[in-house]
Parts: sequence; C-alpha cells; structure tokens
Amino acid sequence: MTMKLTQYQQEMLDGKHGEAKQFCMDKLTDFGEAVEAEEMVPLVLTLNGVPIWAKDRREPKMASKLAVYDLGHSALYDPLFAMKDAKVADHECTKCGSDPYMMQLDKYDVKDSGPWNFEIPGKGSFKIDEEIHRAYQDGYDKMAQHGWLNWLSCTPYFNTCIPKMGEYCASSESSAACYINTILGAKTNREQAVNTVYCAYTGCLPKYGMLLEENRAAKCIVELDDEVRDNLEGVADWAALGACIAEKADNRIMAVTNLPKMMGPTATKQIVSCASPGMNDPMMHLMGYTPESPTLEAAFKGKMPKNPERARVTMGDIIEMYQRLNNLMPAAGPDRAKPVDIVIMGCPHLTFEEVREIAQRLKGKKVKEGVKLWVQTDTPSYFMAHHYGDAKIIEDAGGKIYHQTCMVMTPMRHYPAGLTVATDSFKYVKLGSGFGQKWIFGNPEALINAAVTGVFTPTARWDYWSQPRDVRQTLAMPHVGITGSVSA
Amino acid sequence: MTQTIVLTGIARSKGKAAGEALVNRQRLGWAFNAVGNEDGVVLQPGADIEGECVGGKIVVYPTVHGSTSGAVSLYFKCTQTDHGPAALICREVHYIDIGGAIASGIPAVDSLDQDPIETIKTGDWVEIDAPKVGQKATVTITRKG
Repeated sequence: MTMKLTQYQQEMLDGKHGEAKQFCMDKLTDFGEAVEAEEMVPLVLTLNGVPIWAKDRREPKMASKLAVYDLGHSALYDPLFAMKDAKVADHECTKCGSDPYMMQLDKYDVKDSGPWNFEIPGKGSFKIDEEIHRAYQDGYDKMAQHGWLNWLSCTPYFNTCIPKMGEYCASSESSAACYINTILGAKTNREQAVNTVYCAYTGCLPKYGMLLEENRAAKCIVELDDEVRDNLEGVADWAALGACIAEKADNRIMAVTNLPKMMGPTATKQIVSCASPGMNDPMMHLMGYTPESPTLEAAFKGKMPKNPERARVTMGDIIEMYQRLNNLMPAAGPDRAKPVDIVIMGCPHLTFEEVREIAQRLKGKKVKEGVKLWVQTDTPSYFMAHHYGDAKIIEDAGGKIYHQTCMVMTPMRHYPAGLTVATDSFKYVKLGSGFGQKWIFGNPEALINAAVTGVFTPTARWDYWSQPRDVRQTLAMPHVGITGSVSA
Repeated sequence: MTQTIVLTGIARSKGKAAGEALVNRQRLGWAFNAVGNEDGVVLQPGADIEGECVGGKIVVYPTVHGSTSGAVSLYFKCTQTDHGPAALICREVHYIDIGGAIASGIPAVDSLDQDPIETIKTGDWVEIDAPKVGQKATVTITRKG
C-alpha cells in the first residue's frame, strides 16, 4: 500500500469501527491505489441516490419491475443494509444526502399530483408501480436509519449543505459538482455513484481528479460579446449560454470573461448545470464569480500561456442553441403555435426566486384544461412557497408544485406516447429527447403563456433576437419584464 | 495452429478472469442507455460491438464514454442480471469504470505493453491474472489459427 492513511482511516480499514466502515474503506483504498492517489481527503458533502429496497431482487416479478425503475444503484446498498452497525460518517461536518428520484412520497396516491401520477384526457395516464413505491419508501427509511438526510434534491448547496471554499465533496450529481467547484470554491469530482456510497460511511475519498489543484487549471478563454453580456434575461437564456460556453471550450476547463455583473443563484446555477453535460471536468472559471480565480493568471494556476486560445460567444450562438434544442425532438404544429401537454420547470430544482417568478406570472390566470403545469423545487423552497403564499397562487391557477422529484428519473419512456413537453431546462431536453416525447425549450414567460393557452408561442423578444442583425437594427427592442427581468 | 501472446499491464481492479474477447475501437459507456441492464446488449449507436451481448466476455475498448452512472449500471449488469462482462481491458480505465469494476468484483487492466485494441481480436481467448490493484497484471491471449 502506497496511500498514506490517517490513524482513524487505518482503524476503519482494520475493522475497529465496525463492519460497514471496513467494507467501504476496503473498496475506497483499492480505488485509491487504482487512481494512484497518495492520500484520502475528508468530505463535507456526499450526494448520492436513494435505493429501491427489495427483499429478493431475483424474484422474477420484482426483477422485471426493477429493470424498469432501478438506475442500477440500489443493490449496492444491500450489503450495508445487512450489517447491524452501519451508520454514515458521524463527524458533525460530514453531511450525506441524496438526489431527487421518482415522487413526492406523501403524494404518491394523490390523483394528478405530478410526474408520478397523472392523466391527460384523451392521451393516457401514468402512475408509478405500487410495489416500487413501497420499496422506495423502504429504501428511504433505511437510509434515514443509517443517518442519511434524504434531501432528495440536486441543489442542496443552496440551502441544506453549503460547502466552503477549499473543502472536499463527493457529488454524483454533475450539475451540483459544477456549482460546488465553480461558485463555492469547494472541490468535487463528478463522482461515480459507486464511490459515493462508500464515501458516506467513511467520510473520506482518495484525493484524485478535481480534488487536486493542478487538475483545476483553465486551458482556454471564452469571452462573451458585449451584446451577450447586456441582453441575457431569463432562465433559458442562461442555460443556452452555459451550453454555448462548454461547446466553445471543446471539453476543456475554461475561463469565462466579460460576464454580466450581479448574476444571482438562478443564473449561475443554469450556466454551470448546462455546461456540465458538455464537459468531462465539472469546473468553469467564471471571472468575477469563481472564488479561487480572482485573476486570469490564478484561473490558469500560474501557467497562462502568452497567447491563450480564445473563443467568443455571440448572440447568434445563443439563438442557434435555442434552435438546435428545439430541433432535437421537435414538437408538432406551426412554428408560431405548438400545442403543449406538459409544461415543466425545475431541472435543476427551482430556486425560491424562480418559484416566485412563476407565481407572479400566473397570478389571476388559469392553466388550460388538460394541460399540466408542473413546478418542481427543493424541500426548503417548497415549504417557503407554502409559507409565503406562492404555492397557493400556483395551485389556485391549476398548476402543481412539489418537491423530492426528478422528472427524467421517473420512467418517462413509459409515459403515454407522443406528448409534447415544454420546459426551460436544457438538461431535460438533452436527457429526455431519447424517450419518445416531443420537446420545446423556452423561457418562463413563454412557458406560463403556453400553460394558460395550451399553445406555445414565441415572444416578441424572441422575434426580435432571431432576426438577422441588419433587420434587427431597424426594430425597437421589446421590453416585457416582470420583477425587473425580460425573457424570451 | 495456436498462437499465444502474453502482455503485462497494471491492474485497476483486481481478480482473475477468462473469456472470449469482444473488441470495440470506439470509447464505450456502461450506463443503461449504452449497454442494456437487462440483457447486456450493446445499444451505443456506431459501436463496433453494437448488438453484441457483453455477458461473460472480456471487453476491450479505449476508455469510457458518457455518464457517471456507468459505474452503477456496470455493477447492476455484473451482480443483478448476470449480463455483465467478465473483465475490462482498456488503453486507460477511466475512474468511472474503475469504480464500477471494483464494486462488481471483476478485473480491469490498462497500461499494457502493447496496444490492446490493435493486439487483441474479437474471438480470442483471453485470461487475466490481476492479483493486486496498482500492481502488475498478466493478460494471456490465445488465438486459434
């Protein structure tokens, strides 16, 4: 063994702190040797999935259901659930939680309550299997007994577990990994979901990949045009920008310059989460935001070449990204009016500010009969929305607000065929486009309008920006804001 | 006429395995949408081994492609549906696949003294002896002429 262990880590490996810790340390030290790590780092956050627990996974009926519902992670927990002394790391600084999954547990049986239980008249219905619901609740309870806090959120870094600069994390959720590295300055890989189980019980992980300073350096610069810096508004714009940046950097860590001042949590969440599917390493140096990069020299970790490679993002790139996303699985209907079945927002989970914007746009309106408006957020924001009245506005209008869920993790390929889903989530369009539904990508203003009218129509702002530059210069820029923002 | 080639590399996951080789020149992912969890059939469009079943095979490929969930999906195939590979041989075993292989208890080997993609042919009989992670592993290739 070449990896240096602390006394406590060695004791865990020797079995002095129980079978579970020994089991997990054994796996982690093997992994550490394989990636040639020299030591382990202590973790403040571990993010992984809640398992579906089944007494007998091989029983044919259950096995066939698991093939539909299980992502593959559940059985990993079986040996740990079978150990009497198993508890997650007990240091007060180490928090272990979970990604969202399939349903709001207490609303499983409530008719038409969300992606896990709904009916669209004339098109069909979907409800998660009852036995799977019970098995999932069992997995949830067992996790809680072991000391996991079941966040069921992909954005715990906003309000539940907030790592500080320089601390180490193990996040199997890519979008969270990119936010933690980029905005908080803590360090995490897009950790594979095997290690994160073992990390939780030991509180440590071999130091490798993005946990090493030298692997976090920028390799190129992506610069925004002034026009981009000054005119992005709305969730989908930020998402498209993130996707454009990742594409320009061509799978390298980049430093991004000329960003707008005062981007809030919603904007930065969208930028980093949309960049991460296009990058192997979950890290961007957003100049003015990334704490470890006060200067370009720092972003390059002191190794900036004389003439670093530079790329630009133009408004044309942003518009093209919208068009490409809308062409992945294009919705039926004329360009200016596409009928929708489901309008969903909340991937990654909505910030409270986003929930509030939706409520303000919906106030006094009604969602069209037969159309679903699904508003998906994390647990703290869900209860804040109930406390402050935003949830009531959304539900009075006929929408649904819920927590604990990820729509794409519910088995969407078993939804009624041929539905049209409109969303402001880049990730949904990318992940869901193989599952048979039709997709529309747009900003909240247009999405709320689609939920109310049943038809998606591009906004005046979109009409303006999608014109060629010479035509655009002859037009007045439309202003259609709410809470100081304008959206496409 | 039987030809035998012996290569040495480094074990990224330990174990012994023997099986027929399945060689894929493209990067390969193990997530459920790349290799079916239920049946081990390769779904990844454009892969040389698209449509083949990886069950019990020694799968040879350059390195990983795609999602972090490849680790758990590899585990699911190896331990739950018995349609997982017997071992992995790569130019470089990516850490997503290292984690999946260790959890699954199958050997994974890289850094061989000859390029495995060029040297090993689909259908060769391959035996792997990889006793310790980070240490020397032996890959014995037997080809019937």
